[in-house]
Amino acid sequence: MPEVPIQRHLLENGLRVILSPDDSAPIVAVNLWYDVGSKHERPGRTGFAHLFEHMMFQGSEHVAKGEHFALIQQAGGTLNASTWLDRTNYFETLPSHELELGLWLESDRLASLLPAMTQEKLDNQREVVKNERRFSVDNQPYGSWDERIQAHLFPEGHTYHHSTIGSMEDLNAASLEDIGDFFATYYAPNNAVLTVAGDFEPETAIEMVRRHFGPIPANASLPPPPNMSIAPHIGRELREVVPDRVPLPRVYLAYRMPVFGTDAFDDLSVASDLLGTGRASRLYRTLVREQQLAQDVSVFPFPVVGGASMFTLWATARQGVGHEQLEAALLAEIDRLAGEGPSGEELERVRNLHAAAVESSMERIAERADRLSMYACLFDEPGQINSELSRYWEVDAGRVRAAMDDTLRPDNRLVLTYVPAEAPADNQEAA
Amino acid sequence: MPATLNPRRPTPGAPRPYHFPDFTRTTLANGLTVWAVPVPSAAVVNIHLLVDAGASSEDEPHGGLAALTAQLLVTGTQRLDASAFAEATERLGIEVSSESSWDSARAAFQALPEHTDEGLALLAEMVRQPRFDPGEFDRLKAERLADILQARADPGRLADEMFIRHLFDAATPYRRLSAGTPETVTGLTLDDVRSFHATHWAPGTANLIVAGPLDADTVLRVAERHLADWSGTGPGHRVFEPRAAGERRVVLVDRPGSVQTEIRVGQLGINRRSERYFPAMVLGALLGGVFGSRLNLRLREELGYTYGARAGFDARRAVGPFSAAAAVQTDVTADAMREMVELLTRVRDTAPPESELHEVRDYLVGVFPLRFETTGGVAMAIEPLAIHGLPDDYWHTYRQRLEAVGADDVLAAARDLLHPDQFLILGVGDASQVQAAVEATGLGPLQAAPSD
Repeated sequence: MPEVPIQRHLLENGLRVILSPDDSAPIVAVNLWYDVGSKHERPGRTGFAHLFEHMMFQGSEHVAKGEHFALIQQAGGTLNASTWLDRTNYFETLPSHELELGLWLESDRLASLLPAMTQEKLDNQREVVKNERRFSVDNQPYGSWDERIQAHLFPEGHTYHHSTIGSMEDLNAASLEDIGDFFATYYAPNNAVLTVAGDFEPETAIEMVRRHFGPIPANASLPPPPNMSIAPHIGRELREVVPDRVPLPRVYLAYRMPVFGTDAFDDLSVASDLLGTGRASRLYRTLVREQQLAQDVSVFPFPVVGGASMFTLWATARQGVGHEQLEAALLAEIDRLAGEGPSGEELERVRNLHAAAVESSMERIAERADRLSMYACLFDEPGQINSELSRYWEVDAGRVRAAMDDTLRPDNRLVLTYVPAEAPADNQEAA
Repeated sequence: MPATLNPRRPTPGAPRPYHFPDFTRTTLANGLTVWAVPVPSAAVVNIHLLVDAGASSEDEPHGGLAALTAQLLVTGTQRLDASAFAEATERLGIEVSSESSWDSARAAFQALPEHTDEGLALLAEMVRQPRFDPGEFDRLKAERLADILQARADPGRLADEMFIRHLFDAATPYRRLSAGTPETVTGLTLDDVRSFHATHWAPGTANLIVAGPLDADTVLRVAERHLADWSGTGPGHRVFEPRAAGERRVVLVDRPGSVQTEIRVGQLGINRRSERYFPAMVLGALLGGVFGSRLNLRLREELGYTYGARAGFDARRAVGPFSAAAAVQTDVTADAMREMVELLTRVRDTAPPESELHEVRDYLVGVFPLRFETTGGVAMAIEPLAIHGLPDDYWHTYRQRLEAVGADDVLAAARDLLHPDQFLILGVGDASQVQAAVEATGLGPLQAAPSD
């Protein structure tokens, strides 16, 4: 894979800037990572980092409500933002001659969000976010799974204990004063990374960045990162059974695992692909195809950095299969791989699938920009984008076994099972 | 508070021209049309084999046969069983997909360019010498039946299924999902699959699209190597004229305990070859295709009823649905329905202001190069040309045709295509909480409907 070019700049106000030119298409991506996520929320304000992200689209001193979206889309651009445990990102992809529009809009809200904030806007977006929660969690089959996994794997007091979407009660409590405090604390150039990737002249781009972002003052008193330290293992097996309005039982297994950025995280990424990526993966082959116990399987590690991460997998039971039987089969396959390790052919398979997947996602300039921001924001090493593949390829069978041994063990696991709350009459008719 | 030094929107630079990649189209002696779309800078190649074997090619008692046949193809060849086939492809970093929609079936994969030849060899083997293993057939059929139940547990997917069920009349195939219903899928046999495959999976009217860092000669050579001696011509697809099931009506599907209602409002729309296609695209975007669309601004940014509202035309070979959609909190269900119907009705009153038209049209025109950033996007863009016979210069003239859509054209399209007296207004939610209020709106005669 060709190297992704990287030019690093540091503005006087602490803004880290990454430029990655590529003129293969006349488009450009602007991507900002703020080093603030739901892990920075204080008790009683779960969901606030995400609600705040919504408020960043409600206008700023020189931009009216709705105008941010309108200007970008009218220019032929796409845009969005997202909030997660560790961070909040904002991004737009534009025809390259509109680069400065993206920079101006991002800088205007970072420089002057608060004058545009009103109670009416907050109340409106509070309702939107509550509907987002209803849509993705409360009204969705199996919708509470990630919230429950976080609550079990991280004890109260650890800020991964609560979900990014937050609780209705805390969303209701959020005030304009909270907006002001949060903005003043976290939305500062020295708490952010700005990446520009795509079709531009680096000299022109950095001049634009300096002009728009340079005058924005740093926050001289950024709070220290929250204490995320936690024991590497849970210490016992946790279990929960959730009756839900679902036709088929589903078993989730979740484990505390080493954080994103460590070798062990890479080892377990390989393990997750061996188990669950593709039709030749262990779990698909045995549970879905051969034993026909599962309707589908999915395995993935969460790339988060606060003390511990989560290795998660799920399988949905085939009709007529009990969740106990499915759970036993899942655990047997995990133990088998941990015991015997992957064959050379299996490693070759996941390495080539991984390489193709990386090449494919990196076709999008927005994805390249987001990864550059991620590596810069989390590790201060944007160059890690160019060692992703080699790190993955260096993982061998011994490392997979060792990491699985250390992480996927009974005293470190949560078994979260969804079962049909009642047998709906219409399902029986169809069966 | 620090003020930015730049209170005004910056002036854009000079746009760099962008053209959709040039491509060649060659028909082999067996009828297979090969589309080579060289993208020299691409890191991956995308290969789509389109066969006229979509759900429009099956008869109603066999609803879901096209989908099941396509899915079963990836479970092995006469030479390689399901495991061996998965290993052979995935060892190359290739995940083969095979699926069908109403208009077509598609077997496809993405690969690093050096695996093009081996990948296409495996794809051709899969399509031409499928294994059709009885055990795999039973498994996929059972998975499909279970997936229908899973889909009905998801309020959004349930609303989509119930919307088309109540929108189209009993004789219109589009009134069910292209993957079939529990009733039709239950009756499918492996012999049905064998016979459907033997009849419809043929090169006579098929298309092979190859987009990636390969020149046209290479593409043609590889295509000929693996597909030139494939033979046969299928009977094609059925032609039908979709009809609506009724006039203006409200349908409530009870989902007790729901904290939101999934609303769909719509009617029959247009087919893909419609002369109104471009005005309809602009109209759909203006109503619910961009963040600043009328539905999203009103329901989300003003009222806070929903996380998002959208609308648009689903244009197929035959007339597909137009629909507007939103999931709203239960207690505003009736009001949200009234708002949606009103916005869809009012758009017929006056031409949109130039500023609004500009916002929508400039987006559709300007976003053009972003849509074709990936080779997968380029390959997808060729599909409507192959399936619907759109002209070769379609993408070269696309932006001019959009730009030519004026405010009067949008108004004419709205008046021609949207008929409030034909609207189906459907909600999936907790009927005990919303029914009385919905009835009180007087939006139309109300019918309670089951969720299966």
